[in-house]
Amino acid sequence: MSRAKLTALGLDLPLLPTSTVGSFPKPEYLTEARAKVARNAITRAELDRLERQATEYWIRTQEELGVDVLVDGEQYRGDMVAYFAETLRGFARGGLVRSYGNRYYHKPVIVGEVAWPGPITVDWWRWTQSLTARPVKGMLTGPYTIMDWSFDDHYPDRKAACLALAREVRKELAALLEAGAKIVQIDEPALSVRPEELPFAVEAMHAVVDGLPAYYIVHACFGAFETIYPGLLDLPVDNLDLAISHSALDLLAMFEKDPFTKDLSLGVLDVHHHAVEASDEVRGRIRRGLGLLPAERIWVDPDCGLKTRTVEEARGKLTAMMTGVREVRASLP
Amino acid sequence: MQLIAASTGSYPRIGDSPESQRHRRAYAQRERGEITEAEWQAVEDAVTREVVAEQIAAGVELPTDGQVRWYDPISHLARGLTNVTIDGLLRYFDTNFYIRQPVVAGALARRGPILRREFEVAAAAAAPRPVKPVLTGPYSLAQGSILEGGHKSRRALAEAYAEVLAQEVSDLAGAGAELIQVDEPYLLQHPEDIDVVRQTLATLAAARGRARLACYTYFGDALPLYDDLQSLPVDVLGFDLTYSPKLGRRIAESGSAKVLGLGVIDGRNTKLETAAAVYPVLDQVLPRLGETAYLGPSCGLEFLPRARARAKLETLGRLARGYGRSAR
Repeated sequence: MSRAKLTALGLDLPLLPTSTVGSFPKPEYLTEARAKVARNAITRAELDRLERQATEYWIRTQEELGVDVLVDGEQYRGDMVAYFAETLRGFARGGLVRSYGNRYYHKPVIVGEVAWPGPITVDWWRWTQSLTARPVKGMLTGPYTIMDWSFDDHYPDRKAACLALAREVRKELAALLEAGAKIVQIDEPALSVRPEELPFAVEAMHAVVDGLPAYYIVHACFGAFETIYPGLLDLPVDNLDLAISHSALDLLAMFEKDPFTKDLSLGVLDVHHHAVEASDEVRGRIRRGLGLLPAERIWVDPDCGLKTRTVEEARGKLTAMMTGVREVRASLP
Repeated sequence: MQLIAASTGSYPRIGDSPESQRHRRAYAQRERGEITEAEWQAVEDAVTREVVAEQIAAGVELPTDGQVRWYDPISHLARGLTNVTIDGLLRYFDTNFYIRQPVVAGALARRGPILRREFEVAAAAAAPRPVKPVLTGPYSLAQGSILEGGHKSRRALAEAYAEVLAQEVSDLAGAGAELIQVDEPYLLQHPEDIDVVRQTLATLAAARGRARLACYTYFGDALPLYDDLQSLPVDVLGFDLTYSPKLGRRIAESGSAKVLGLGVIDGRNTKLETAAAVYPVLDQVLPRLGETAYLGPSCGLEFLPRARARAKLETLGRLARGYGRSAR
């Protein structure tokens, strides 16, 4: 069914379409430039030039490797929630909170009614799409994750904050579609943290996407996926990217009991390890997916964003992924 | 009714101003080999004294040491044991905080007392007020660990952790701790393991001497376990009432054979509580309890920025003091 939707949207993708989850490593010159902007040592315009340079590098790299659905690589974003929280009205930068060891970050705080200030990601999407003939995904962080990864001084409860955010994320989505995006990934890595809240997370996703025509992917890594299955299937999206390709879960048993009704993005690369996968490892993971679902319903990608890897590791891993996919495609009847 | 304002566990070790980031700077200097272990310990001691004083100044009657020496709730105790190595990062419940998982490969034994000195530094800073030592319980340590060998099951690992934690409890009681808090957050994810928690806490209870033992749960809904928790071999039960909004009614219906710690201050969010929100819960619950109850945050406060953690404790102190005086 989703294959037909892709065709209706004018997208002609091969079997086992390949993509990536969103972020790529930032080159050293960009990391240094971001620090310099913070110290007012260079201008924002100079940083913007370098962000575009790095983005174009990653677009060319994806094309060169043969990836089917591209991402802009998020060279201009820091944290996936902070990026939106710094832009949406109603947020303030919170105080320092420890994440582990001696690592601290500023956790955003909702201090008033959240409001969309106008397009946030659209200019980047439009410019990136202008660089390539391949489709570029729109990339948004979902309302449940923005809510869960922020403090809230304003709304009466988590559901109210989540639904308010959903209304504003919808405006960004509508602007992306207006600009021409046809595939949009909505990141919801927090989705499984409180299984009892899944019903309002689903309600929020309806508020984001209902009536807006696109092929939707929800990326939900870190998850105790089994705790929200099969309720997860109530999400009104086409594709679930679940980072489950080498989990120990008995997916076959789960899917036999409650059939998986979406397209599935198989995360075949472990982004948290330095080692580059061999293409036969990738093949094995894809074949495991093919034991669960027909090839028409499977996409292939890394299990999360690649920003924590080096440029060389990311390129190596993606090369292995593409080699493995080509080999499996060639073996399909 | 005596309502005691009590901390629940951790406290932020740095603030936002440069002068409040001594701990962070020293940590980095230690990693680079620029300060000695003695200098590092002096910083940890100073920060401990500072957070104890801050809790008391905010109105807390029973502070903790803020667990400022703890890398995280799981690996801190495990680092002091034999046959344990420390592995990679794992997200801690539904927080944005990460723990390092202990890998257990054999029999567990202490290399020496782990918490006693930490407690003594805090106790000296708080005197004449008491300080409550807090330790992660054997069941939660076992759940947070990777079992590679030496124990035939996770239950056996929990029992082994209980044996070494019993020595910690004995040390703490010997050092003067009057109330020792044992945290078992993982139990709420696995209510079917209540008998493991009951058995391992019995091992700790046998070592407590004259101290009283508390078991605290959080990061989940304790309502389905309320009756089972009442059967644990402890003197005090601590509940996260922000996560279990229906628990107040249940306590009002069933009462409690044990002294309760009521976690009415949300340790996970910055919004400050009001009397209008908290007092109705106390009105509902306190008539069914005994002479004493502890009022506190729902969990440790390290998930909040320092300034907001202090504001939470000031709110706690104000609400605890004001409850008896309010016209109710």
